[in-house]
Amino acid sequence: MQYEFDWGMLLRSPYFGWIVEGVLTTFHLALLSWVLALTLGIVIGIFRVTNSRALRVIGTAYVELFRNIPLIVQLFLWLYVAPQLLPTETRLWWNRLDYVPYWTAVIGISFYTASRVAEQIRSAILAIPPGQFKAALSTGLTTTQTYRFVIVPYALRIILPALTSEFLTIFKNTALALTIGVVEITATTRKIEAWSFRGIEAYTVASLTYAATTILVVVFMSWLERRYYIPGLIRREREAA
Amino acid sequence: MPDPIVRVEDVGLRFDKFTALDGVSLSVETGQCIVICGPSGSGKSTLLRCINGLERFQAGEVFVDGVRVRDNTDLPKLRRGIGMVFQHFELYPHMTVLENITLAPIRAKGVPRAQAEKLARDYLERVGIADQADKYPGRLSGGQQQRAAIARALALEPKVMLFDEPTSALDPEMIAEVLYVMRDLARGGMTMLVVTHEMGFAREVADEVIFMDRGRVVERSGVKEFFTAPRADRTKEFLNKILVKF
Ligand SMILES: Nc1ncnc2c1ncn2[C@@H]1O[C@H](COP(=O)(O)OP(=O)(O)O)[C@@H](O)[C@H]1O
Ligand SMILES: [Mg+2]
Repeated sequence: MQYEFDWGMLLRSPYFGWIVEGVLTTFHLALLSWVLALTLGIVIGIFRVTNSRALRVIGTAYVELFRNIPLIVQLFLWLYVAPQLLPTETRLWWNRLDYVPYWTAVIGISFYTASRVAEQIRSAILAIPPGQFKAALSTGLTTTQTYRFVIVPYALRIILPALTSEFLTIFKNTALALTIGVVEITATTRKIEAWSFRGIEAYTVASLTYAATTILVVVFMSWLERRYYIPGLIRREREAA
Repeated sequence: MPDPIVRVEDVGLRFDKFTALDGVSLSVETGQCIVICGPSGSGKSTLLRCINGLERFQAGEVFVDGVRVRDNTDLPKLRRGIGMVFQHFELYPHMTVLENITLAPIRAKGVPRAQAEKLARDYLERVGIADQADKYPGRLSGGQQQRAAIARALALEPKVMLFDEPTSALDPEMIAEVLYVMRDLARGGMTMLVVTHEMGFAREVADEVIFMDRGRVVERSGVKEFFTAPRADRTKEFLNKILVKF
């Protein structure tokens, strides 16, 4: 029996609406998780290299914990186990929220990704000449200002290429959210298949969403890299030559 | 007699078992230019870092402009009054020269941006690289970078400037342009403590020369006596070595 394609069905109700919603869910889940992961990752990355032993221990514990448990296991832990540890009041409030699986996915994905970002930040900071800290401190900036205005912007520029691939990973990792009931684009695809038995068309939409976004992100990031490239850093000069 | 701007009293500093500073004392009066020289590893950089609180010392006292430098000192405030220039410039490579200079005035001193930029351009003018303001440090020659770094320190409008071998990483033709700026500063009345082996500079503008060895001040004297009649044998030895070299 020959399979007959029906691409038009993707534009018909209810499928079209589902697809739009699925794509949007994937997008904001990825972006929100990314913003949180980046922020938390920078903080934990700094913890890993500060002079404070206590902060270093916290940073290391965080990274080891979140980096070494598979993301899918973490999602289940956040969904089923973590709420049990909350005080009753808080747990009831949490369970009454409208999009518990969604928020669970945001937390799970961003906490996991933050551990990976933190490692990037840590190695970037270690690669920055110690004289940069001394210079910034010697002008009267506080330690926090030194990180905020000198060290972190410098570190982010060093790891921009690595951050691109972290973002692409987070974007693809959003597909795991379907395991805890978030209807992002992959889950939507499965739903369409179940209703219409048109798997090929449906999965094509999902694949295209990921592929198109990947291309957009890569283009955007290479623009960012050019925009924020540091003139005279040896590595870059060699590439340019 | 007014209190000296910098007063170091019997400072001792150890890294684990290694004694980097051993009972160092010195003072710098307003308007003085004092040169410190001595072999590598004798503790010169460490001493400068004690003065602006970048390094903790275990014994003795340091006073800067009447403020005692110790653990509970407001270090950012102290450092805003002390300009520091490093051997390797340490400009922030991801900021333009202008941004390098305005960062601390804006963030640490709360100077409005427009005013900070005006100030930065004035100091760039003074060190002779007004036309480099909008470039990144990586696009400047070593001599220009060091002059930008001097402008960054001057923009704090400090009471004293610390120089840590400011010309040691430079090619000979660039050393002259940096020394020119430093001489200009010294003659303009800036209080300066300069670690350098540029003995020509010392002869011309220093009020006193301090010779350090193994964490101690071996000799401190006026420029003339230092070069013509050094007292300690170690100083003689050292002078022979570097005066032959240069
Ligand atoms: N953070 C540190 N830890 C251990 N030893 C250090 C440290 N900083 C400097 N030293 C040591 O202290 C001595 C003095 O160093 P330094 O002040 O840099 O000398 P100089 O500037 O005169 O060359 C050197 O032997 C150096 O190895
Ligand atoms: Mg030194």
